[in-house]
Amino acid sequence: MKAILEYWPVLAQGLWVTVWVALCIIPGAALGALILGALRLSETTAIRMTAMLVIEFLRAPSALVLLFWVFYALPLLPGMPRLSPLAAAILVLALDGAAYGAEIVRAGIEAVHRGQTDACHALGLSKLQSFRRVVLPQALSQIVPGFGSLARSMVKWTAIVSFIGVQDVLYVGNYIRGQTYNTVAVYCLLAGLYWILTVLCGAAFRAIEQVLPLNRALRAARVSTEAAPQMGATAGAAQ
Amino acid sequence: MSSSMEFSQAGSFASAPASTSSEAHASAPNSQQAMWAIEFEKVSKSFGAHRVLVDLDLQVKPGEKVALIGPSGSGKTTVLRLAMTLEKPTGGDIRVFGESIVFDAAGKPLSISQEARIRRRCGMVFQQFNLFPHLTVLQNLILAPTTVLRQSREQAEKSALEYLRMVGLESKVHAYPAQLSGGQQQRIAIARALILKPEILLLDEITSALDPELAGEVLDVVRNIAHEAKVSLLIVTHEMRFAREISDRIAVFDAGRIIEQGPPDKIFSNPESERTRAFLQRVLNH
Amino acid sequence: MTWDWSFVVKILPQLMDGVWYTILVTIASSAIALIGGLLLAILESVSTTLGRSFVRFWLELFRGVPTLVLLYFAFYVLPEAGVTLPAIPIGIVVLGVVYAAYCSEVYRGSLITIPSELRDACVALHLSSFITWQRVLVPLMIKRSIPALLNYVLGMFRETAVLFAIGVPVLMGEANVVGYENFRYLEPFTVAGVIYIGMNLPFLYLLSRFKDKHV
Repeated sequence: MKAILEYWPVLAQGLWVTVWVALCIIPGAALGALILGALRLSETTAIRMTAMLVIEFLRAPSALVLLFWVFYALPLLPGMPRLSPLAAAILVLALDGAAYGAEIVRAGIEAVHRGQTDACHALGLSKLQSFRRVVLPQALSQIVPGFGSLARSMVKWTAIVSFIGVQDVLYVGNYIRGQTYNTVAVYCLLAGLYWILTVLCGAAFRAIEQVLPLNRALRAARVSTEAAPQMGATAGAAQ
Repeated sequence: MSSSMEFSQAGSFASAPASTSSEAHASAPNSQQAMWAIEFEKVSKSFGAHRVLVDLDLQVKPGEKVALIGPSGSGKTTVLRLAMTLEKPTGGDIRVFGESIVFDAAGKPLSISQEARIRRRCGMVFQQFNLFPHLTVLQNLILAPTTVLRQSREQAEKSALEYLRMVGLESKVHAYPAQLSGGQQQRIAIARALILKPEILLLDEITSALDPELAGEVLDVVRNIAHEAKVSLLIVTHEMRFAREISDRIAVFDAGRIIEQGPPDKIFSNPESERTRAFLQRVLNH
Repeated sequence: MTWDWSFVVKILPQLMDGVWYTILVTIASSAIALIGGLLLAILESVSTTLGRSFVRFWLELFRGVPTLVLLYFAFYVLPEAGVTLPAIPIGIVVLGVVYAAYCSEVYRGSLITIPSELRDACVALHLSSFITWQRVLVPLMIKRSIPALLNYVLGMFRETAVLFAIGVPVLMGEANVVGYENFRYLEPFTVAGVIYIGMNLPFLYLLSRFKDKHV
């Protein structure tokens, strides 16, 4: 174990790369998921079908197959760019996350009660206004927890970027193993680091859940039922 | 508490702005049609093979209060949803102050912006309240004025407080819907509809989801609107006493058609149709 | 570089080998995951606090650590412990064990939705707890879990690609080898990608059938 700790500067650098990739792909996937998920529910059949095809097409091969194709095969096609390992990794993982996230977004939007959009229509709000002001804020209460567990998985997905030479924590770990032959300690350390990262990621999403508008409203209602006796007393005094 | 409700500003939302009504006159094919606040002409509506409304004809004058009664599944709620453009009719035409909410002048389906302009004259209150649970009472009320009417926030808040006072809930300004009783929520929903100053208000079984002891406070609010305001009311209700007391006219629905309509006293004391008699007997004896 | 059909024809037999291994690994790991998950869920339900916390720890571990790390761990550490196994069984077991954790969550989810009155009825009929599990609870758990389990089997099939890291000749590994041997990556990776996508179709068909049935 002590021998491994002598490598801490490279290890820290590798960890930093892993964190950096995760910090890029999770918001990227969230944005993509929101767009794809909303298109998936479009009233125009062509848009809906296209979105569905894109989602299934991105999900069908695993991220690893997609990554190798984008990194090794894509540049061989005429007019296609040669991406750096890091850029290819971020692009592929964010797209894959967006495809999985789109289904979470779709389910979240569908779960918002039909009466809410009816009320928006009756109040004269446009489709976009009612989506942005009424449907999405409520759907987020279901989307964010689901996306939180997807994000935890995405932290783990980042491990595959070492295959195309991105020097993430796994890449560095393999290097250290080659130097020290201390296999058990290296992989236990890696497992521990990934585990901590996923736990932190889960905690971050639970913190986001706290500030969502619908959750805030429901929390306020819970607090007020607990404090109901006092409120009843003051109301009585007012009358 | 609802009897002590202040109603001084109630008149302000009812009278149709002169500009819009003259516009309606101008665009209507003849002035005869423009006198109706809302008019259904041979309207039918089917969901798949199921025919909900069959060749419905119904006219409502400005300021008139019409109650739609009848067994459940007879198409009453669909009438309101059609008027609010929540559904499109399968056949026939619906006109609001002479303007079709189905077709444009060339007989094509209305564009989204045209439809939005015309439907602004209607407001609707739902059986399930449909308040926005993630917004406070005040935010619920000012959402449409600030986004649809593009009022300033101060202006919208000021009128929101007026309407909250009208339904007797100004103390709940910053509460969330989940903190209110069903009756309070429905009163907020009424205020939210009224703040846009609709000329036609559609009330869809607004007390059906409430416990009987909470229904009274909601009906009191509606009574006040009916007495004080010049708004047209289209009311779907199962509260027969309330329908009789509040409406100028009652339309009895059965199987997607109006089987009888007339003044409340006549419908309740001397109905012409045998089916009306049977329906009233069923609901009044329970 | 232009697309070369004759090269595609030449490499296709080798890629098909990869397809068979992919199918083999998917079926074998699914068997471990589906049965292991069921046992874990039952164990968690009937056991004491100790057994329960053991299951919880197991789930937490596999949910927080990448499959790839577990794969390397098993592949490099087992020989050091004196156990020498070929790559294929190692890959199958690791994948199966990881997904057993996920599947047990699914089973547990359907177990808690079985109304408690049903268990009361079993007690009233004097059924032994073994018979209750065997004839009533387990069949119900499985029936309710099928769509979600199918999703995980699909996920497992997709994740078999990662086994090429320890040299299992799954489709992904074969494509990599073929590309490396011929210095041509375009055709192997593209054809492999298309085959992977095509192999999803039976899963998607089954899933849509189940969705129709349950809605």
